[in-house]
Amino acid sequence: MSTVLFDSLRSWWPETILSAGALIVFVAASWTHNTRPVLALTWATLGASALALWQTPVPPATELFFGLIVCDPFSLVFRWLALVAVAMTVLLMGASNDIDVSLRGEAYGLLLLIAVGLMLMAEANHLLMAYVAMELVSLSAYVLAGFLDDSRSAEASLKYLLFGALSSGIMLFGMSLLFGLTGQLAFPDIARACTALSDPATQALSLIILLLLAGLAFKISMVPFHMWTPDVYEGAPVAVTALLSVGPKAAGFALLIRLMHALQVAWPPLVATVAALTIVTMTFGNLVALVQTNVKRLLAYSTIGQVGYLLIGFAVNTSVGLQALLVYLVAYLFMNLGAFACVVAVVNESGSESLDAFRGLATRAPGLALACSLFLLSLAGIPPLVGFIGKFLLFGAAIEGRQMWLAVAAAFNSAIALYYYVNLIRLMYFGRPVQRTPFRVAPAIRLALGVCAVATLALGLLPGALLSVIHAQAILNLL
Amino acid sequence: MLSVLLACPLVGMLIILALPKTWVWTIRMVALLATGFALLITVELLNAFNPQAGIQFQQHASWIPQLNVFYHLGLDGLNLPMIFLTALLGFLACLASFSIHERHKEYFALYLLLEVGMLGTFLALDLFLFYIFWEVVLVPMYFLIGIWGGGRREYSAFKFFVYTLAGSLAMLLAILALYLHTHTFDLLTLAQAGHSLPLGLQRWLFVGFFLGFAVKVPIVPFHTWLPDAHVDAPTPGSVLLAGVLLKMGGYGFFRIAYPVCPDAAMAASWIMGLLGVINIVYGAFVALAQTDFKRLVAYSSVSHMGFVLLGLASLTVEGMNGAMLQMFSHGLLTGGMFLLVGVLYDRAHTRDLGAFGGLGVTLPKYAGLLIFFSLGSLGLPGLSGFVAEFLSLVGAFRVPQLQLFTMVSLIGIVLAAAYMLKVIQQVLLGPLNEKWKSLSDINAREILTLVPLLVLVIAVGVYPLFVLQIQDAPLRALIAHVTGR
Repeated sequence: MSTVLFDSLRSWWPETILSAGALIVFVAASWTHNTRPVLALTWATLGASALALWQTPVPPATELFFGLIVCDPFSLVFRWLALVAVAMTVLLMGASNDIDVSLRGEAYGLLLLIAVGLMLMAEANHLLMAYVAMELVSLSAYVLAGFLDDSRSAEASLKYLLFGALSSGIMLFGMSLLFGLTGQLAFPDIARACTALSDPATQALSLIILLLLAGLAFKISMVPFHMWTPDVYEGAPVAVTALLSVGPKAAGFALLIRLMHALQVAWPPLVATVAALTIVTMTFGNLVALVQTNVKRLLAYSTIGQVGYLLIGFAVNTSVGLQALLVYLVAYLFMNLGAFACVVAVVNESGSESLDAFRGLATRAPGLALACSLFLLSLAGIPPLVGFIGKFLLFGAAIEGRQMWLAVAAAFNSAIALYYYVNLIRLMYFGRPVQRTPFRVAPAIRLALGVCAVATLALGLLPGALLSVIHAQAILNLL
Repeated sequence: MLSVLLACPLVGMLIILALPKTWVWTIRMVALLATGFALLITVELLNAFNPQAGIQFQQHASWIPQLNVFYHLGLDGLNLPMIFLTALLGFLACLASFSIHERHKEYFALYLLLEVGMLGTFLALDLFLFYIFWEVVLVPMYFLIGIWGGGRREYSAFKFFVYTLAGSLAMLLAILALYLHTHTFDLLTLAQAGHSLPLGLQRWLFVGFFLGFAVKVPIVPFHTWLPDAHVDAPTPGSVLLAGVLLKMGGYGFFRIAYPVCPDAAMAASWIMGLLGVINIVYGAFVALAQTDFKRLVAYSSVSHMGFVLLGLASLTVEGMNGAMLQMFSHGLLTGGMFLLVGVLYDRAHTRDLGAFGGLGVTLPKYAGLLIFFSLGSLGLPGLSGFVAEFLSLVGAFRVPQLQLFTMVSLIGIVLAAAYMLKVIQQVLLGPLNEKWKSLSDINAREILTLVPLLVLVIAVGVYPLFVLQIQDAPLRALIAHVTGR
């Protein structure tokens, strides 16, 4: 037994370091109200974890801890995504002045825990592990959403908790049905048991998938489980919103893909439902985003729209689709975090989250406006930015998977989405500024903006490296 | 050589971005040098070009190997006139941009980015690369209209952006479908494979490409962005919009839609002809009703681009040559017209035709130039517009199913004479409006922007072979490819 544990630990150092770091940060934060050492500790943990992840040997697929989790190239992509997303959030949180300084230590600890949870979600190979990982992410996120000392934040936290509890209850129900049907908990065993099922039981399987989908749809804000998104995004601290819009989405997709891979047999009758939900999700998100006046709500609906595009890769259920999904997730991570970094900078300066705060930004902070335009154009899918490459692959996957109408709907949606993205650019460049004073952007935000901007531009101009990495990681084991 | 041509404006843009924004003179000079170098290289290319040799000066490098995307540029008779037009108008409009008097650094950086996009669109021989450049054009033009324009500039810029992008997305789907069927983006390979694609697929592809190009040309009823964008853009922006951006759409039909979907193009011939006639007649009638000088010129563009469609629809040697020549000639003439409108607007700050009158007395030099370009625009024999429109009409008339359309489109020429003469009459003739007595005549810099256009209009009008010999061989090859004759 101990040899299994030690062997497992060898591939699992990044998560171990993060968990230990999170606990130390919690203790340190209760010890001192000075954030500097706590922040240093957080960065040390993230750095050590990244180093460990870099050094982790990645065999085609290794089951760790008695088959509870699996370390494979597919999860490696998501582990990096989780680490980058959390690191960016730490940067933004340190620079944003909405969270009380005395509380920041705990926030950093929770962020590290979320990182562990996100990684586990992508690695889960067992129903129990999947559930625990999801709850780890959710519980930390509930707390973080309520970190501001105002009623909106409290409302966001409570709403998030109630919706979250409901959907994970539904999901748990699905899991218990699945266990009752197959008698298995580990994904490979479930897959094997499912192929052996006879006809009436496969129909029960469809119901189970729908129930499981409900739980995950909540995580990735898929219609009709998106209702919490705008309110929570609006109430939560901006940096937390930034993380929520990226991290749980990516991990949710990872778990979704793994689960559906195990339940592949029951997939065909559900294709139409998922495709229809995909179209509804993107159309709903983009249409409602058109009329928003609060930038956080706008980005919340934009997130729902983007999730709709991502779902294309899932709905077509081909290896091309999976690759496109992974590429777009990487693209989305950088461009969306970048956009939120701009929001942090503007909210810090003006204290307002209204779109009007962006008016005339180009004259007050030209660099910030330029970076923000870059992210928005990338989200809109304008070449040669990375968002275009991702969308291009997703549209291609839809056509290749003989789901032409998905591609057409996505193209229509891109045109709709252009409206609100460009509207923000219009405000920044053509609007008359409320105040004329130039404002300085905090160095940490500048760093975050720089990283995201370089990634958005460089990965768009030279996507070759990204594509070959994703290709190698995704194809090896899953499909 | 072609990469150097693309690099000229790009390097200029980077230099301008690195300069402090108060160095206005230096910024202008850098922009002028960058566009000037691009023009010099184009002239050099024109000299070295061999009309019989097919695709020349090719550059081929792998860009995204996973998707079979190549950085592939090349020059032949189809794009050389367009490249020359772009470089020329790019340089002249840069000279005209000296009248821009705010946010110079941003303006010239965006202007040069626009030129990179325009040149790249015409040079690209890889469909993916073509699409990238095609879209790159949108963003700088959006800002040029939105920041430095007049009137309802924000609305117009926005409309331009959304319309064109919506069209491009249809094209993107067509590109993807084409790629998934053939697994290549190489336009030369795709053109050869044209006939082997199933007719059903070809139809859908043609519709996708058509929507993308139709918005740009613009083909009625996709034209509604054009009058707004042209009117509200700053003068150099209008010049490039009318002179170059519209040609991108027309060029797309020649380079992509027709060669790749030959059978669908044959079948759609009468539709293209019909749309051409609608463009010609509708555009002319609407132009006739305008009281705003710039809006009138904008609608005259809609009318003139109709001849491109009509010539294209004919699929005859005369018609296709006429269509290509019309694109070149329209770039020169309308570029000139917009520059002239700009000159007047800079002085009088109004474009209302009814407000002028009798300017021929106070602004003799301006009057001469305006009369010249108006006559060119209405198709006076001896100038470039006549040759192009005549060839298009002759070509279309040779096709039985287009004969009726050809006859109807003659109305457009009569109307062109009416609205152009109306401009001359209302602006230059009649009693002098006392308000404009102190208006100064056109200055040396402004004349300098117009003279090259004037010379070329006469040159092409008197000796059209100068352009025709460049484009004739590839057009004959294209017709043979599409019709199989």
